[in-house]
Amino acid sequence: MDILTVKNLTKKFGKFTAVNNISFSLREGEILGLLGPNGAGKTTTIQMLLGVLTPTQGEVKYFNKSLQDNREEILEKVNFSSTYTQLPWLLTVEENLTYTSYLYKIKDRKQRVKKLIEAFRLKKLIKEQMKELSSGEVTRVNLAKAFINYPKVLLLDEPTASLDPETSDYIRKFLIKERNQFNFSIIWTSHNMAEVEEVCDRVVFINHGKIIADDTPEKLAKTIEVCHVVLNVPDGLKRTVEIC
Amino acid sequence: MKIISYKLPPRNQKMKFNRIYALVLRFYYLFRHSWDRIGDAFYWPTIDLMIWGLTSTFFKSFAPNAPQIILIVLSGHMFWLIVWRAQYEITVNLLEELWNRNMINIFVSPIKFSEWVTSFIIVGLSKAAMSFPFAMLVVYLAYKIEILFFSWYFVPIILLMFMTGWWVGFFVSGLILRFGTKVQTLAWTFAWLIGPFAAIYYPVSTLPGWAQTIALFVPASYVFEGAREIIYNGYTDPTKFYISFSINLVYLILSIAFLYSSFKKVLEKGLVKVY
Repeated sequence: MDILTVKNLTKKFGKFTAVNNISFSLREGEILGLLGPNGAGKTTTIQMLLGVLTPTQGEVKYFNKSLQDNREEILEKVNFSSTYTQLPWLLTVEENLTYTSYLYKIKDRKQRVKKLIEAFRLKKLIKEQMKELSSGEVTRVNLAKAFINYPKVLLLDEPTASLDPETSDYIRKFLIKERNQFNFSIIWTSHNMAEVEEVCDRVVFINHGKIIADDTPEKLAKTIEVCHVVLNVPDGLKRTVEIC
Repeated sequence: MKIISYKLPPRNQKMKFNRIYALVLRFYYLFRHSWDRIGDAFYWPTIDLMIWGLTSTFFKSFAPNAPQIILIVLSGHMFWLIVWRAQYEITVNLLEELWNRNMINIFVSPIKFSEWVTSFIIVGLSKAAMSFPFAMLVVYLAYKIEILFFSWYFVPIILLMFMTGWWVGFFVSGLILRFGTKVQTLAWTFAWLIGPFAAIYYPVSTLPGWAQTIALFVPASYVFEGAREIIYNGYTDPTKFYISFSINLVYLILSIAFLYSSFKKVLEKGLVKVY
């Protein structure tokens, strides 16, 4: 069953077309990767899916209802986390989660905040102000915030971008485990194919605002014929010149 | 006008208390942690009242036949404090969200525009409920002046001052949403732009002719004129307050419409890009 359908979505900023007539769907319990290089239109798409950016054209439907006409009802069941947004930096971790919990209809607020603090390993940080945290810790608080309302759809914009490998791995496994247990759906934007392959059931590949491919990670990997490999070697250019 | 053509959400216009409470709580937490905010609420009103009180005491020594001068200046300043507080809480709380890049986190939740605006009004009222009695106490202790001297007139005066503060706040917030933090200085300066025409400390007749014409369109000027009449005669013609209320109401409706249209405009760029 499709829980989200996107039809002919387009966003133009003046003459520049950031997202060009894209259509896709998200099934119940599915993790869909939105893969593409920087500037491909992933974040613009996510913003339109959240209703914080007005599309130039097209339609977004959650649970078969238009987002534009049923914003309040839909956003009760949707949440979002991004490496590129912040939370109020003078508030503590606990205060951020507490005030956010009131934005949604949650019956067991205290229990929920407590559970998320444990799940995202934030226990030692609850009384810390956001300004005191490292970028990885901020990302974990952002993710905890995204889970606060038991979302049916979770939109994650490069959720592991600022995490160390161990925490990234923990977060990926946590998200898969939660999805398996509660059967919610995730849209996961990334430009890391290996990560997308590990986590996602299906991948939509976007470039220059257009969908280039929509398939399982395995099939998508097989169809990509040309790979660009960039080796980052310290003093690489200097040494190459010396060898030559 | 373009704002009329905006499509309003189709149904369920009812505001939800929990979401308004969430934002009030967010600003209460901020207040607890921010010395800037605590200073704004208590330190600056005290300093202002001391300076204006001492200045008017000095002037009174030159004009012994004008015994009400201290009351006129200090009551004027205190009522203006309400305008200032009400507009400041709206504009600076909006700026706080922009500085923190938190607008997107607020609006990916089911919060409505009306709930967001209401939360600003409640935060402003709460802060004024702290600052104003504190200022009254300062004035009483330092100069033995009771602002409650205004008796029942006190209620409409306070209400009209709040209304002025709200429309100024919503109008400036609309500008900040449209142009970003590059016009953030308006949050501190715009109210003072209408200050001279509001005739806070002097009668409207003191203003030059052209400025008196502008003062006709400044609702606070009627209130301050009325307040001075109460100080001199013990009463004022309530028509002044009715006129002030009517102009304030028109400006309030227009300013909310402007803020809403600015918000819709921002959604065309994306909330992430507002800074």
